Amino acid sequence: MVAKRGEDKELRDGRLFSGDLPSIVAAAHELKAPLALIRQLALGLESSGAREENVGRIVLTAEKGLRLSSDLTKSLRLQDALFETEPINPLSLCKDVVHEMSPLFNAHNKKLVVAERKRQLLVVGNNSLLRRVITNFSDNALHYAESDKPVEISVRAVEGGEKVRLGVRDFGPAIPSNIWNNLVDKLTNSPQSVNARPQSSGLGLYIASQFAEAMGGEIGAVRHRDGATFYIDLQASKQTSLL
Amino acid sequence: MSAKRVLVIEDDAWLGEHFASVLKDVGYKVKLEPHIFAAVGAVDEFKPDMVLADILLAGETIFPFLNELRSYEDTGELPVVVCSNLAADISFDDLKPYGVTRLLDKTTMQPDDIIAAVKDALQ
Repeated sequence: MVAKRGEDKELRDGRLFSGDLPSIVAAAHELKAPLALIRQLALGLESSGAREENVGRIVLTAEKGLRLSSDLTKSLRLQDALFETEPINPLSLCKDVVHEMSPLFNAHNKKLVVAERKRQLLVVGNNSLLRRVITNFSDNALHYAESDKPVEISVRAVEGGEKVRLGVRDFGPAIPSNIWNNLVDKLTNSPQSVNARPQSSGLGLYIASQFAEAMGGEIGAVRHRDGATFYIDLQASKQTSLL
Repeated sequence: MSAKRVLVIEDDAWLGEHFASVLKDVGYKVKLEPHIFAAVGAVDEFKPDMVLADILLAGETIFPFLNELRSYEDTGELPVVVCSNLAADISFDDLKPYGVTRLLDKTTMQPDDIIAAVKDALQ
């Protein structure tokens, strides 16, 4: 099943935090998780035999919380149109994301890889926003993936070469259809209060959809029998001199 | 007397390991599962004396699992301690029908609180 974010008025016109209390509640909840984990790991330092390991986990969890915090800030700045688009080599960007995220994946005994390809592609996007979208998808995959198969980032041409798709594929337990429908809903609607929608707020996906929109792209997801792929489609660039 | 068995259902691997470590240190046998699909199998194989679980898990919430437990004669009375970031937003009375004996708040609890809650649930 493929779900695409459509031309949704709420997404076109509404920005995160534009007087939207449920969004603030969602953001607060998302930030609560890494903070609570850091606190528990710190409390465990007193008794844990694996002190060095716990310190490493505290640092990685703090970095995850800071990434989310940074995304929220960027989301606000989208209104000021500070993010210009330019031709980007997506494969190179994905390798940078793998470099950034590998310590977190390794600490969970998981692996993040980029699928190599011979023919290079270029996309029109914003380097900072696109990197955050792929990092966000990778963070999501880390949570759902099982450790025996690596999470794979791929780049490929779609729509006859007019667009380029950057996808993050995870391998994990099959997602039940009711959960999938809820997840697809999160790709197209603003995050809700956790009281109204108990299966987490979907804030990360919502932010990714905003970043995609700011670059003229769109995000979507494909359900597999053994996991899921989250992707972003962006306009292909014909400026081959950069390759 | 053999050690009591605690099934921990927590999708954050590091937090789950921390809970397991705290309980093992005081003599409990612990099985850690990340989601309810694995937890269903663990109930048959591990035969826990109680469950310590988060609410929001990867995929499903804990509630379908708790409903499943309640529906069988041999697991219908299994005590459950819930440990969540949402504790401040949830009414404990709403959890009682699921067999929940204690609601812990991840944002404020201490390691000793886990031990006390598990001990109380097993009495």
